[in-house]
Amino acid sequence: MDVATVLLQLVLSGILVGSVYSLTAMGFVITYRSANVFNMAYGQFVLFGAFIAWSFIGSPQDPRFPMPIALTLTFISVVVFGLVVERLLFRRMIGRPLYSTFVLTLGILIFLRGIVMLIWGPSTHVLARTVPQGPVYLGSIVLSKEYVWSFFLAVSIALLLGLLFRYTKLGLAMRASYDNQVAARCLGVSAKLNSQITWVLCAVIATIGGILIGTVNGININLGEMVLLVLAVVLIGGLDSLIGCIVGGMILAIGTNLVSYYISPHIPGIDSNFSMILILLVLLIRPSGLMGTRPIERV
Amino acid sequence: MRGRRRIDYAADIAVIRSGRQWITVVVFIGLLVILPMILNVTGNMNWVSFLNHTFIILIAVLGLNIVTGMAGQISLGHSAFVMLGGYGVALLTIKAGWSIWLALPVSALVTALITLVVAIPAIRLKGFYVAVVTLAFFYIAQYIIRSLETTGGIHGLTGIPSPAIAGLTIKTDFQWYFLLLIITLVCILVSVNITRSRLGRAFLTIRDNETAAAALGIRVPMVKLRAFFIGSLFAALAGGLLASYVPVVRTDQFTFWDSIWYLGMIVIGGGGTTAGAVMGVAFLRLISQILHVIGASGWIPLSSNDSVYITYTIYGLTIILFVSFQPRGLISIWQKLKVNYKRWPFGV
Amino acid sequence: MSCSNEEKTKERKNLNQAADDIVLNTTNIHLGFDGVKALDGLDISIKAGQIVSIIGPNGAGKTCLINCITGYYRPQQGSITFQGREILGLKPYQIARLGISRTFQDPTTYPSMTALDILMAGRYIHTNATMVESMLFYGRNRRQELESRDIVEEIIAFAHIEELRKIPLGTMAYGQRKQVEIARAMVMQPRVIILDEPMSGLDEVMKEIVTELILNMYDGGMTIILIEHDAQVVMELSHSIIVLDHGRKLSEGTPLEISQDDRVAGVYLGIQTS
Repeated sequence: MDVATVLLQLVLSGILVGSVYSLTAMGFVITYRSANVFNMAYGQFVLFGAFIAWSFIGSPQDPRFPMPIALTLTFISVVVFGLVVERLLFRRMIGRPLYSTFVLTLGILIFLRGIVMLIWGPSTHVLARTVPQGPVYLGSIVLSKEYVWSFFLAVSIALLLGLLFRYTKLGLAMRASYDNQVAARCLGVSAKLNSQITWVLCAVIATIGGILIGTVNGININLGEMVLLVLAVVLIGGLDSLIGCIVGGMILAIGTNLVSYYISPHIPGIDSNFSMILILLVLLIRPSGLMGTRPIERV
Repeated sequence: MRGRRRIDYAADIAVIRSGRQWITVVVFIGLLVILPMILNVTGNMNWVSFLNHTFIILIAVLGLNIVTGMAGQISLGHSAFVMLGGYGVALLTIKAGWSIWLALPVSALVTALITLVVAIPAIRLKGFYVAVVTLAFFYIAQYIIRSLETTGGIHGLTGIPSPAIAGLTIKTDFQWYFLLLIITLVCILVSVNITRSRLGRAFLTIRDNETAAAALGIRVPMVKLRAFFIGSLFAALAGGLLASYVPVVRTDQFTFWDSIWYLGMIVIGGGGTTAGAVMGVAFLRLISQILHVIGASGWIPLSSNDSVYITYTIYGLTIILFVSFQPRGLISIWQKLKVNYKRWPFGV
Repeated sequence: MSCSNEEKTKERKNLNQAADDIVLNTTNIHLGFDGVKALDGLDISIKAGQIVSIIGPNGAGKTCLINCITGYYRPQQGSITFQGREILGLKPYQIARLGISRTFQDPTTYPSMTALDILMAGRYIHTNATMVESMLFYGRNRRQELESRDIVEEIIAFAHIEELRKIPLGTMAYGQRKQVEIARAMVMQPRVIILDEPMSGLDEVMKEIVTELILNMYDGGMTIILIEHDAQVVMELSHSIIVLDHGRKLSEGTPLEISQDDRVAGVYLGIQTS
């Protein structure tokens, strides 16, 4: 294959994979923007959601419920999970400093990891087909069908979220809460409802991401490590920007592909740490990310 | 004109403020000294090994207490500095043939200097960005060490020598216990000294309000660097001691989860005070040991994996409960108890 | 009580000011944010040993001016000199070390620290024990700690906050926090102290206490810049009043002159002609 085709392959598959990262990262941005929480436990949300999904969907050789029912049950469970998390853990933290909530998410991180492993065990499970699988050929470029489907799914959901935030009253309320929770409440935004929707959305998006990733990589404890990729995405794109997620996801995925193909043969293992290197670079050069809002210090 | 109380300032800032406190401290240390001898007799040497590891963890956590508990810089990569200290000692003793007593402080210094390099970008950033930088550094440090031949790749380094005092080599758990006890006590004293010094107060002001701290004349970035530096000194010391104790260093001995445990201990104990750090370490270590013992004894049928996961679950739950309901940690509970005890029976 | 304070002030104003030199000076300060002009060509001179009040409606630029002087904001244009030396462009910690100390409008600066901690922390620039010395405690570090404690205790007595020593700031009442905040600025033994709305949110009793504190500080020879809305306090205490409006100096003069200035009355309602 000539260089152009190789590049195109790397870039295209990067775009597809990146879309999944982007979508997953949006759940993180939502909690940061609306609930002012830097959710280190997000990877465990992804993990938890994926395992719940697997419980209902099952493996190819051992399917549980028919797909539509399984997905519905998953959705309901995850919504409940989001509500429970909000009610028990984050409701009382409204208005508390970022440091406290951050440490809380660390506690949740450890807790969820323990619970998930206790319930489901450490082995890897294969998820039954949620989306069609198989290769897609574009000339000499090979792409995987799941990722094409994931791409379209991710884009649609991202668009929906964007519309929600920009054009609905609820979305506006959530954005207002980011800037000033107390003032938003004075405007008639129910802090409770805002909080609930934020966390439900977070859980749902995490689960969708978990399913999409788990379809390819299997459902196992490593899904928790997603938080590292998500961190890279949101830092590149800007912690409070949904569009930034898309940008960040693309950069991360395409970058990883390129590094993996061109540099890994010389420096083995660098591609799996690429996300960390990107994080350090971003924080050195432009901490607020490419599309994030620059904070204004007021004394 | 109000009457003025005469306060003896020297006594007020001393660590041990009264005759009664002296007695408490002496008794407590005496118990710690006798403990391993009792355990030796009853043949429960596992507990001594457990205590040795706890001392090492305590030293590392004292370091984190300075960076995160006092200066408010959340460090998720503390485990990396422990690792660097351990590898430093290993390299200096094995490859360069140094004595361990020289290798320990040098390794600590070098690690602390490396930490400065990492910290310089971090100090200009907001709270959680610092955490992410330290996290990224942790993974990259692991990656680099695992990839290099000199550091033994994924297999690590073995054959780190044991320290020797006046001809006696410290090899058994029993001997290590006393060495570690002394070193830990010294570290606790140093930590307390920092707390009651101008540097410690500067840390607190930075934690609570960086903007206002600048108006006090505090050069915030430089002071943050000092916090990271001292924190890493402690961590590297712990790592070096661990390297000699085990006596192996491998990258998988130092995990991301260790960093989280350390942080949890500080949160639960109550950030910013040495006593809080000690309580946090003691508390969580005790819980993990109890769970381990329950799992091993077979009272409740648990696979070894399960007991690890239960430990995670309970750790996480404890952190959640403390952050939600008792953010000042164990130390504040302890202080309330003390106040009530003094006032008894006159109530809260 | 207010009667005697007013009398005290009048007494002092009649005394000859021995130090008539200008200690702080701003020339042609321009400060803008994103198109909003906060300060528009401001010229201010503060004489040594005086109490100068800066007043003006909200948004006039008072706190912006203070932030420029103390290094938190950097004006796009102009010059600020302190004791003859240019300080524009210096960072806040450098300006603090030169001898300008300020309070913050929100007195809840360090919620977890006790009053004693905070005041001792204020001695940071006057001590120089190194990191290693701090770790070892004995020696220069301990000596400086005890010296600092002496000075801090004097300030505590001066400000009458003895009971607050071991209480965390976050637990104190609002007025108490203000007292601690002012004491904290004093502990730094500055040449010029800037008090940002020290009276806001206080009841009459606390206002008296703080007024007395300010006068005692003045007695000690300190130059005091006061940002205040409380007209009565401003009239009683100040040697000179500077009125700001929309980032410009509207008027300047003695309290009597200002109270008779129609422009000021027009722009800043609430000044009663005494």
